[in-house]
Amino acid sequence: MFERRLYYHIDWALLIAILALCALGVMMIYSTSADPTRVTSRLYITQLYAIGLGIVALLVTLTLDYRTFTDKSHLIYIALLGLLLYVMFFGVVQMGARRWIALRGFNLQPSEFAKVGVALVLAKFFGENRGTPAWTDLAVGGALTLIPFALIAKEPDLGTAVTLLPVFLAVAYLAGMRMRILGVLFLCCLLAAPVAWRFALKDYQKTRISTFLDPSQDAKGAGYQQIQARITVGSGGLQGKGFKKGTQGQLRFLPVAHNDFIFSVLAEEQGFAGVLVALGLYLFVILRTLEAARLAKDRLGAYLVLGVLASFTFQVVYNITMSAGLAPVKGLTLPLMSYGGSSMIATLAGFGLVLNVRMRRFTN
Amino acid sequence: MSNVEDRRGIITRLSFLQYVVTALFSILAVSFWVLQVAQHAKFEEMAENNHQRTLALRAPRGIILDRDGRVLVENRPSFSISIMREHSKDLNRTIRMLAGVLGYEEAAVREIVNRHRKEPTYRPITVVLDASISQVSAVRARRLELPDVLVEPMPTRRYPEKLAAHAFGYVGEVSDKEISEDESLKSGDIVGQSGIEKVYNTQLMGIDGARRVVVNSVGREIRTLDQQEPVEGRRLQLTLDYDLQKAVEDGFRVAGFNGASVILDPQNGEVLAFASLPEYDPNAFAAGIDRASFSALITDELKPLQDRAIQGRYSPGSTFKMAVATAALQENVITPDFKVHCGGSANFFGRSFKCWKAGGHGTMDLRHAIEQSCNVYFYTVGNMTGIDKIHKWATALGLGERSGIDLPNEVQGLVPSPEWKQQRFKEKWYAGETISVSIGQGGVSLTPVSMAVYAAALANGGTRVTPHLLKAVDDGSGWKARPTPPPTAKAAVDAEKFQAIRDGLWLVVNGGGTGGRARMPGHDVAGKTGTAQVISNEGRLAARTTKDLRDNGWFVFFAPRDKPEIAGVVFLEHGLHGPNAASVARHILETYYAKKEGRPLPEPPADFHLDYKDPYARKTAPAAQN
Repeated sequence: MFERRLYYHIDWALLIAILALCALGVMMIYSTSADPTRVTSRLYITQLYAIGLGIVALLVTLTLDYRTFTDKSHLIYIALLGLLLYVMFFGVVQMGARRWIALRGFNLQPSEFAKVGVALVLAKFFGENRGTPAWTDLAVGGALTLIPFALIAKEPDLGTAVTLLPVFLAVAYLAGMRMRILGVLFLCCLLAAPVAWRFALKDYQKTRISTFLDPSQDAKGAGYQQIQARITVGSGGLQGKGFKKGTQGQLRFLPVAHNDFIFSVLAEEQGFAGVLVALGLYLFVILRTLEAARLAKDRLGAYLVLGVLASFTFQVVYNITMSAGLAPVKGLTLPLMSYGGSSMIATLAGFGLVLNVRMRRFTN
Repeated sequence: MSNVEDRRGIITRLSFLQYVVTALFSILAVSFWVLQVAQHAKFEEMAENNHQRTLALRAPRGIILDRDGRVLVENRPSFSISIMREHSKDLNRTIRMLAGVLGYEEAAVREIVNRHRKEPTYRPITVVLDASISQVSAVRARRLELPDVLVEPMPTRRYPEKLAAHAFGYVGEVSDKEISEDESLKSGDIVGQSGIEKVYNTQLMGIDGARRVVVNSVGREIRTLDQQEPVEGRRLQLTLDYDLQKAVEDGFRVAGFNGASVILDPQNGEVLAFASLPEYDPNAFAAGIDRASFSALITDELKPLQDRAIQGRYSPGSTFKMAVATAALQENVITPDFKVHCGGSANFFGRSFKCWKAGGHGTMDLRHAIEQSCNVYFYTVGNMTGIDKIHKWATALGLGERSGIDLPNEVQGLVPSPEWKQQRFKEKWYAGETISVSIGQGGVSLTPVSMAVYAAALANGGTRVTPHLLKAVDDGSGWKARPTPPPTAKAAVDAEKFQAIRDGLWLVVNGGGTGGRARMPGHDVAGKTGTAQVISNEGRLAARTTKDLRDNGWFVFFAPRDKPEIAGVVFLEHGLHGPNAASVARHILETYYAKKEGRPLPEPPADFHLDYKDPYARKTAPAAQN
């Protein structure tokens, strides 16, 4: 199984960058939530446990050959759908959404693992087909994506559901989907937007979008978070206000600072300098992962790596944009930094697969 | 498709993705640079406004003392409740909740907020000026639900004694008009609205301090950044004597009449007591008077808000006779020994003028004419002197003039003259009118304060002192005496001739005159009563009104006759008879001398045994209808 020489092919640089981002996240969680008088002050400890579990998951996904996973991907996929259905009926309700399965100690969020599951199943599906995917292939791949998408969107958790779409698009794109089809898909989305606006979106979602276009129209309500995010980031300046000295995050002008808006807190306390470091680390992780895809021994590996990377990149870019108040506020976490166990474990497990593919590029 | 070609396609597409991602991250970096570096100053200010608040530390107004250092006006700690709109997420919700918590009508709170809507939002809007303990604790208990409601400590004016309300005046929230006139005032300031509080407002107002605090997103204070202590307003010492003031007001209470009284030091114009009754309670204004109480005060028929001492004009009756006598003597129309026979009435210009004594006083000189208050004597002398000279000397003694007292909105009295009549009515003066003026009727209408100045001038030999209430000011570095305001005029009176008048006034009290009730053996009190009609006797009988039309009673006095140290006036509104006023003056003088000589102050008597008979009351109202 795990041959000793494989050890030398582990991409240590990528792993170190990932762990550095985790450490940065723990630091910011500590900064915003450590307060001896509050119950929530031990969040950073929970996060450290999550990182530990994530590393275990990473080791698991690293150790077995990725082809073992793709071979069993249909089973993993079905198991995930089962979990999502379970959530739908027996999940824990928090803040108006049924997203979690209560386990002893913490809540598991299956939707976070769905990203990896979809990446695996799509990699296998497109990896088995040779040549440019046909219309039918795209339809099947799309269906494989849309089933979990629908289940997650129903929770409701549109944010997490949407992160599945880049997985499909990225894998299909790499598999050689014609650009023309991408264009058609884009056009369809554009045409569907007014229909979605009219029928599919809930009122609070509409408010978020219209507020994003003009935050001042609702400066105290939905626009509040966006304005506060901008103030938080802008007031950080070049060097930041210092660790635990950010007024916006510390005095709670910024909501869910340890979670969705952790990057804003980083920008406030560590300034533009800290932002550049974090952006640099994320960019490094992404480019390094793209390189892993390029080096992959087979198409299957490349698809898998890109599938994992797609949802990660989408989430990173969207969350950071939102953190600066430049995108509508959506409950999307920043992978590797935001507080959240399921997300952390799933993300690290995904990077285990990335390392796996790169590491086994010379094996047969 | 060969494996190699296939691989090249993948590599091309991956490189494209590389560029896309790099470009996205570059855009992000530039965006953060714009926010964090280029627009840093703007956002830093916004962040500071978010978490810093400047709270006003209200400066207490200066306290006010009487001439002996007794505290007359002070401050008590209290709380005001206001709304901070700047950080309000939902002003309507705040108004609704606050009204509920305070137990007010929502519309009332909304109206207060609307009144201040145009002001800058960082300025809190005061909803309750002097909140009750239950209101304060109710708001504090709901601080989390009402993050934009502010409970501020605030000193409230307190008038511990219910005395001299019209001298102190009252305070209230500054009006928009006042703010536009004085740049140093800001909304929510408490300023003097009348009396001493208004005249010396700039001295009494302190300088508000400020405290800069850090608050969190629900408005809870985290810590203080810096603090600027408020500066208390200047302390004022008044010329008022608390004991004398109390004696005056007790006297009115015992007598059971409204009216006014001003007691002066005739040598320098210091006001020892100043009363106008009925009074209001200045404490009600200090706590922010509600509309109902205020309109009750405004519509009260007795006009408690009118300062009768400086704003009421009344016919002086016989107290005016000394002005006529002064004119006649100084203009050499008569000597003090000039005699007139009174047979109960006299004819002038074809009309009969009555003396108040039906049988007449017989023949008498000036001294006894004053003592007996003989109308016929003064009709005759007045007619000989002429209206111009009477007007000239009455004015010289302060009548018909503003006294210049340091209180706002003093009105001017009136001593009629041909010029005035020409101007006012475009009519010629008739010599017959002079006869009425000679006994203080016929349009003569004077303020009680000017009568006090007149009494002082009679006492001090003709100097028209300026009555004043402020004695000294302490701005924190010790008391500084306020210079005595110079007299407004000095009548060039011949002392010897003047003495005859004073002798007459002494006889009024100590001889057989109408002022016997004010007699104090050993103190040579001199004075003159006056009983003045509010309406003619005929008019009174014909009037069908619920209005009080009983005569007014006056007593002007000073003591001791030869070296006077106290002078003043007691005016009893509808007090029926001048001698009734002398009874009140007697209590004032007794208190004055008891205090001066170190004796215990006299208790106000249970009853002055006044003359409450109304000779002109309509006796048979039902019969009149038959």
